Amino acid sequence: MSNSAVSTKNSALPPKTSAYLDWLQMLSGAALIIFMWTHLCLVSSVIISPAVMDAIAWFFEATGLVYVFGPGIFLIFLLHFVLAARKIPWVTRQQTAMWDNAKRMQHQDTWLWIVQAGTAMVILIMGAAHIWVVLTDLPITAAKSAARIQGGAWLVYYLVLLPLVELHVGIGFYRIAVKWGFLSRARRKGFHAKENMLTIIMISIGVVTLARFMFLTIH
Amino acid sequence: MSRTLTFNIFRFNPQDPDSRPHQEVFTLDETESMTLFIALNRIRAEQDPSLQFDFCCRAGICGACAMVINGRPGLACRTKTRDLPDEITLLPLPAFKLVADLSVDTGTWFRQMYQKVESWIHTDKEFDPHAQEERMDNALAEEIYELDRCIECGCCVAACGTAIMREDFLGAVALNRLARFILDPRDERTTQAYFDLVGTDEGIFGCMGLLACEDVCPKQIPLQEQLGKLRRKMALAAVNHMLPKFLKPLD
Repeated sequence: MSNSAVSTKNSALPPKTSAYLDWLQMLSGAALIIFMWTHLCLVSSVIISPAVMDAIAWFFEATGLVYVFGPGIFLIFLLHFVLAARKIPWVTRQQTAMWDNAKRMQHQDTWLWIVQAGTAMVILIMGAAHIWVVLTDLPITAAKSAARIQGGAWLVYYLVLLPLVELHVGIGFYRIAVKWGFLSRARRKGFHAKENMLTIIMISIGVVTLARFMFLTIH
Repeated sequence: MSRTLTFNIFRFNPQDPDSRPHQEVFTLDETESMTLFIALNRIRAEQDPSLQFDFCCRAGICGACAMVINGRPGLACRTKTRDLPDEITLLPLPAFKLVADLSVDTGTWFRQMYQKVESWIHTDKEFDPHAQEERMDNALAEEIYELDRCIECGCCVAACGTAIMREDFLGAVALNRLARFILDPRDERTTQAYFDLVGTDEGIFGCMGLLACEDVCPKQIPLQEQLGKLRRKMALAAVNHMLPKFLKPLD
């Protein structure tokens, strides 16, 4: 807190802007967490059978939900990036300060924030490309997804994107819980351990799903 | 067998035009129950009388001897050398103005913080010096005292990535300070008045939830819980007018 920066009262922003933006950041993040977990569950239905995945995809196609959810999620995805990016240091001096602080402190939650910010940059580009490829080739079918994965390049692509997304989602889930006061001091450690386990489970389901696509016979 | 400890200590005196920031190495034989405070005093007494660092109470009450100990902010008087490796690196707290070596000026920062969050009881009641002090429910008094235990050492600010990145961020100590007044029934400020003070990106909405404050606080003040409660309270205050009547927490 410098001598020249002592007043929060005279902020140039309208009085409630910061609060509204914080609400939106949390709500868009929570919506994306729910979406990502649901998305993984739906796609991983291919492990049971491609017919199950096709049936689910058909439901979203027939009801038109895919045309609402698809672009809707993409907009929330972009909105969440813009809102969360307000907290990310873009100035070299701030980046250096944050990096030095994390290295000096060796503090887990500070490192987790850096992981969250770093994965966000990659997810923005890779996630956007994934959404574009899927939404411009509707309807979704197990055969189309399998053909994409069996091409080879997309397999590598998703093997990179999957852990980055699950890490970002898992850390985001934990951070919402601590930032918004849903966790007591006593429950923090246990909650974090469970969240780590959940992230590992989600990545594992994703890897098995990719393997299923890889070895699926395409008719 | 006692260990020989190696201390890498940051040295720089901004008042001296010939001084350049550097680290100096001192060695010292460890004694039983040695604290960093004892070690630093011995170094100053036996090896270099020009070494500057702050201390006062020697008992974790005044907060003056806060410094960065092997990367993390902590109190020199409360840190036993037996809990540290053979090599110990000591730096001044970041985020505060350096006086010299390990000594920083936390006073100016805290004075500004008090002004910023208006850290005093706001009341229209006339003070009667002859009247008995108003009684307070014991549980509530203890709840307030729990937050009032803060010794203002500055460790939470120096550990906070946000505070180090953004000079205008209030920091956990200020938000905890305000949380203390919110609890106090003698303070007549409204939720809106508190919102005007900390409902900004420089206040509670700037907190990124890194929780280093919670993890380094030498007094174990429940900062994680207080910051969470304050965020919820201020966030709800902002949308209170939009909520249906039965959901309004502030009415």
